[in-house]
Amino acid sequence: MAPSSQERAGFIFTIPWLVTFAAFGLFPVLFSLGLSFSRFNPARPGATHWVGLANYAELAADGTFWQSVGNTAFFAMGTIPFTTGIALALALLLHSRPPAGGFFRTALFVPTVISLVVVSLIFRYVYAPIGMLNAFLGWLGIGGKAWLQDPNFALPAIMAMDVWAAVGYYMILMLAGLKAIPREIYDSAEVDGAGWWARLWHITLPGLRPMLLFVVVINTIRSLQVFVEIVVMTQGGPLNRTLTVVYYLYETAFYKLRMGYGSAIAYALFAILFVVTLVQLRAFRFSRAVGE
Amino acid sequence: MKRILIILALVFFVLTTLIPLVWMVSLSVRGEGTVLRGVSDLLPRQPTLDHYREVWAGGAFARFFLNSSIVATLVVAGNLVFASMVAYGLARFRTRGSKLVMGTVLGMLMIPKQVTMVPLYVLMARLGLIDSYWALTLPFLVDALNIFLVYQFLQTVPPDLEDAARIDGAGEAVVFFRIVMPLLAPVLAVVGINTFLLNWNSFLYPFILTASEHMRTLPVGLALYAQGQYSIDWGSLMAGSVLSVIPVLVVFFLFQRQIVSGLTAGAVKG
Repeated sequence: MAPSSQERAGFIFTIPWLVTFAAFGLFPVLFSLGLSFSRFNPARPGATHWVGLANYAELAADGTFWQSVGNTAFFAMGTIPFTTGIALALALLLHSRPPAGGFFRTALFVPTVISLVVVSLIFRYVYAPIGMLNAFLGWLGIGGKAWLQDPNFALPAIMAMDVWAAVGYYMILMLAGLKAIPREIYDSAEVDGAGWWARLWHITLPGLRPMLLFVVVINTIRSLQVFVEIVVMTQGGPLNRTLTVVYYLYETAFYKLRMGYGSAIAYALFAILFVVTLVQLRAFRFSRAVGE
Repeated sequence: MKRILIILALVFFVLTTLIPLVWMVSLSVRGEGTVLRGVSDLLPRQPTLDHYREVWAGGAFARFFLNSSIVATLVVAGNLVFASMVAYGLARFRTRGSKLVMGTVLGMLMIPKQVTMVPLYVLMARLGLIDSYWALTLPFLVDALNIFLVYQFLQTVPPDLEDAARIDGAGEAVVFFRIVMPLLAPVLAVVGINTFLLNWNSFLYPFILTASEHMRTLPVGLALYAQGQYSIDWGSLMAGSVLSVIPVLVVFFLFQRQIVSGLTAGAVKG
């Protein structure tokens, strides 16, 4: 059958995506996969050659890479419980219909729309030796620190900022999840004499499960890609203690111009994201099966 | 009693949220320098708008602002038109390839941008487009998530009006631009606003796809200014930050409902 005029119209409408996908989706994905098996320096394109698995072998033995993986994992595991917990608490508070709830919701949501660069700039000064945190601690009679220059405090300081910046977003998502739980279930539970904790445990949390899973999954993906904060605040220092995977990838590909090795890091990150997401989805299904 | 505790808790969190932002504004209008000796220094004693004048008159910042505006306008316009076109083509013209094409849309949602950043840089460098508006806009004119949002919305719109227009003899282009696009207004508001916010704040790609100062967007310009080896003028930097945030806050306060529905539309499907 020859293509009908319907088929032709449908094809024409999808052309913008087909072109975008081919040029900026499929081609980069395949090209960087190829690069990850090559040596490639854009300043010396003539020296490009296939190296097989050499980049991945180097990666497996690269202490700096594993340090960046460790830092990134620490970042994710140290922020996600706080972000999720605080966001849940705030969503519950707002869902209890407090006076001026609209104002509180708007105010708590504001950091979400502000560029992470600006947030990082503000907090660089908050954490500066002459900055706001030290001024506040001085007022309490506690000695200050150069937070971002201290190997033990730089990463936790950035993590605290991340929680500050991200909570509003997840709060809004959980609020939407709470609103989706039918009111009647609460009413009948109350009639049956269920207290606040019983309702939270037996109605709210089970009802919120899909949203909680979504929040944890996307927050994990986002946390494993931390980059902007590092560029603005520490550039990986002090002593590589804030070097994250994506910052290491950037440094390798665009500073050392090792784009083949950089692509191997990118694919390693992709694999990590894929596996972690799968594990979270599986764990969720498993815990639901146990719960029922 | 319980309500008072709830309000106290909310006030505490709102204060923690807003203090750093007040602090940004405070630094930007301090006339007495930026060294803090204590909590009493948090509000400026000699407020001044000098930092704002310096930043705007310096030229570089105004250029960042112009670049961000141009790029965001083009990318938002591209997404409004192209995401509608593609979603419409996929939702209404079920052809042999449309399942596969929808698969590529969903597939792209799962590819982290770090995987494509090196090749995208190489591609733009080969084409000689580094440091041009082309590099900052072309790859972002139609985003997979926006296609998905419009596609979902189209499932709730019956095709009756389109069919009626066709029976009246309207061509496919007329049907799309005159009948379908107006129907998409609610979802296009969401697409436009969220695309604006994401693009205005976008850092990674503009960071690697620009080389010279005059092509930087606001986030890149501010970040690189703060990386300079010279001592940083925090008053001016914060004034620049405040100016860069104003458009986003205006959009946020005007369109909070659309922003929230954009967030949750992606989430609820799961």
